[in-house]
Amino acid sequence: MSGTTAERRTMERRQIAWAASAMIFGGAPHLFAVVPWVALLVLAVALWRIVAAARGWALPSLWLRAPVTVLAFLGVALSYRGVSGVDAGSALLLVMAGMKLLEMRDERDRVVVVLIGYFLLFAVLLRAQAIWSFAWLAGAALGITAALAQTVRRERLLSVPGAAALAGRLLVQSLPLAVLLFVLFPRIPGPFWAMPNTRATGVTGLDDQIQPGDISELSLSDAVAFRVRFDGAVPPADQLYWRGPVLERFDGRRWSALPDVARDGPPTADSAAGMAYEYQLVLEPQGQRWLLALETPLAWSAPRAALGRGRQLLSADPISERLSYRARSVTGGGMLAPESPEMLAFDLRLPPGRNPRARALAARLRQDSASDRDYVGRALAMLAQGGFHYSLTPPPLGQHAVDELLFVTREGFCEHYASAFAVLARAGGVPARVVVGYQGGERNPFGDYWIVRQANAHAWAEVWLDGGWRRVDPTAVVAPGRIELGIDETLAASPVTAERLWRANALVNRMVLSWDAVNAGWDRWVLAFGPEMQADLLLALGFEVPRTAQLAALAVAGTIAAMLLMGFALRHGRRVPRDPCAILYARLCGRLAPVVRARAAAETATHYAEAIASARPDLAAEVRALTRQYLELRYGGRYDPAGGRALAARIRRFRPAAAPAHR
Amino acid sequence: MRSLWRRLTASLGGRARGWALRRQGRDPVFVTLESRRIYILPTPAGLVFGLLVLTMLAGAMNYNNNLGFALAFLLASLGVTVIYHTHRTLAGLRLRLLGAEPVFAGDPLDVRLTLVNEAATPREEVFLDWPGSPPVPAGLGPLDSRLVRLPLETRRRGARPLPGLRVGTRAPLGLMHAWAWVHIDAQLLVWPRPAAGPVPLPNSTGSHRPHDGHQRPGDEDFAGLRSYRRGDSPRRIAWKSYARCGELLVRDFRGGGPAAILWLDWNTLPPGDVEQRVAWLTRQVLDAAAGDRPWGLRVPGITVEPAQGREHLRRCLEQLAVVAPEALP
Repeated sequence: MSGTTAERRTMERRQIAWAASAMIFGGAPHLFAVVPWVALLVLAVALWRIVAAARGWALPSLWLRAPVTVLAFLGVALSYRGVSGVDAGSALLLVMAGMKLLEMRDERDRVVVVLIGYFLLFAVLLRAQAIWSFAWLAGAALGITAALAQTVRRERLLSVPGAAALAGRLLVQSLPLAVLLFVLFPRIPGPFWAMPNTRATGVTGLDDQIQPGDISELSLSDAVAFRVRFDGAVPPADQLYWRGPVLERFDGRRWSALPDVARDGPPTADSAAGMAYEYQLVLEPQGQRWLLALETPLAWSAPRAALGRGRQLLSADPISERLSYRARSVTGGGMLAPESPEMLAFDLRLPPGRNPRARALAARLRQDSASDRDYVGRALAMLAQGGFHYSLTPPPLGQHAVDELLFVTREGFCEHYASAFAVLARAGGVPARVVVGYQGGERNPFGDYWIVRQANAHAWAEVWLDGGWRRVDPTAVVAPGRIELGIDETLAASPVTAERLWRANALVNRMVLSWDAVNAGWDRWVLAFGPEMQADLLLALGFEVPRTAQLAALAVAGTIAAMLLMGFALRHGRRVPRDPCAILYARLCGRLAPVVRARAAAETATHYAEAIASARPDLAAEVRALTRQYLELRYGGRYDPAGGRALAARIRRFRPAAAPAHR
Repeated sequence: MRSLWRRLTASLGGRARGWALRRQGRDPVFVTLESRRIYILPTPAGLVFGLLVLTMLAGAMNYNNNLGFALAFLLASLGVTVIYHTHRTLAGLRLRLLGAEPVFAGDPLDVRLTLVNEAATPREEVFLDWPGSPPVPAGLGPLDSRLVRLPLETRRRGARPLPGLRVGTRAPLGLMHAWAWVHIDAQLLVWPRPAAGPVPLPNSTGSHRPHDGHQRPGDEDFAGLRSYRRGDSPRRIAWKSYARCGELLVRDFRGGGPAAILWLDWNTLPPGDVEQRVAWLTRQVLDAAAGDRPWGLRVPGITVEPAQGREHLRRCLEQLAVVAPEALP
């Protein structure tokens, strides 16, 4: 449309490069996450396309493209066993964008590629939500918007910094409305369609069954399980028991959870003995349904969550996204709740023929005990004084695992002792179960919250005493430091991992903790923003408890207000700081442009006047005089309105003829 | 399918244009594009962009993903911001019609306009077009002015009223299309198309007009032979030398009194319809202008006194352009 064919082709080539770069901005983070052949294919295609544009090669015909596209789609479907879910979806998008690059001929194709770039960026955010994703979001949104601005231009391309500046300006101007929508747009708790659960697989975490050795494996992992912030009082370290799955079925070696059939009624805490705490917990995705809570949760804000069997807090769906919820718990007392006789009988069961020596020991202790409570005390004392050791790497145990632990190896980890104690309790006629969860945590001084890692995974027992379930932690008796100090300090021979060595340095640990604090703040304020925080915010702003419809009305009203404001700025706003001299000079240039030539963008007024004078000697005197007058007016100190009026009148009278011949 | 679509949009565009004309009226040659006459609609790319944002919003809701929400709202807000920018690219733009040199019917008029940007922000990617013709770029820098030449098709001779000019832009992101219709109340002159072949000039001394009293060039001073120029009287062609060497030569005469006047007269033309005769006469006028004799033009109702030179030629062509068929006998 403008310029010669060669210029046109140069421009088109650069536009193709811009469109390809939009795809890179959106797609680059995916390249490491998709199956390698997709990444290789897309990179090769993008590279080939840029070279083809530079060299003027012909694009492949439909006969080549169509089968390749079909094959690539089939390949994705095979590699991912389907095309639903974020991973397969992003692979598919990448392949689509790559194929679109191959048929990118005109502006429409380029725009499609750029829009796919935006969508790829969206998929990046579904994959990762850490702070770096936000940084990438900002940078890539800028890059893709710049690419969109460049790719639709027809007259002249902007320079790279020019395009970036334009995109940056547009995005910054869009921010206020975006923030308004973010805060006010009604958040309807999803999901509306199936949540792919792929990301939670392979995540380390608790399981709903344990056998000796499971938790000691977990304790090597420094991965964060959740972060928690207490409102007000913080429980003492020996009360930080985060309850997870409750295991009641025992086969002699392995403890496992019962299927969640009957929901128990709400528990009542032994409030006389306990103390109430409120906290907000940000749980990392673990692909399981349980929500961690301090023992005896009384209230919680997590949507679609309820107490399941054993009063474990369960979500309706597996946790595949980071989840934030508030809860109130009472700790220290015990759970006072009715329990059916059938269930209590189940909690006494032991597999026949297993661990005979432990049973014999239990029978002996029971004879000496006056009551259930006394019996539990004796069993604990036996563990405390029996010469047991706490070790991450105990010798392996055989079929009679509890017997071997109690009488042979005398060395074990928390799951060993929890299991052994529960077996002793059951053998002594006290209903008992094993609870898995986390104990303790690391306080982050920078953000005043607690980080609970997989290494804090713990197992303990609960026994039925005096009409309620009471927590008994045999590990606390065997290795009291484990509860008060944490695992690293307790185990002198704790295995050395690179990360632990790294964090052993105090300065490094401070840095790690402060970065974690930044992340936690990010999680707390940005990622955890949801219906509850929205409601809190609006309540704080003085609104009544907002409903979805009211929120929608508010968001719509906000958007309309923003648009009206924009319209107002458009109509009445001074777009330009109106320099009267500049306007007069523009008018003069407007007079001269048609008869001689327009002023070049970089041309000074004097230079322009001289150029006019040499082209049209008949205009020279007047143009020089007008230019001088303008320069004096503009740069001669304060603006003189009378001088401005005089110049305006003179320019009005100045009517240069089209051709000098008729003068 | 595609042509149907084109016909549909053309018809809708025509209706909208007519509506805008009724609403705005005709414009003077100097026009400022005020906000109220700028129309704005999303482009197809803009509609796809809107769909994309809605999809993202649904995805963000489903996955309860706050960064997804952030991107979706940022893009939605960008879509709104772009409306403002696209509109602002045109609002306040000034343009002035400078006119166009007359052309022969069938040749495109070279319509010249100046565009002035008095704002400190650029107005990039502005395009001008007539209905049905390709857009011409007219982007402006800050405080900039520019001369734009717009070819305008012509078909018939006479005064060509300017069609509605569309000033449009899709800047900055191609998501919105803003445009203004400018119906400048002006007419541009189109000369008649000259007949293709040479039309012999009338013999001004011709027997059918013996009384016109104009002198022929002096036959006395024969100065030699020169090559044939359009407008030379066939009587002076040296047919003998043509037969000898195949080149058209004419006998040239020098000196002797004022050059004889050539009268180009509607009534001396062979019979034909009005346009045909106008074409012949135009050809004759052009040929006469290329010759070295003064010429005059007679069309029923109009007489252009004999003269020579470009101005005279323009005057004659102008008269021929506006010959009205109903004024002829």
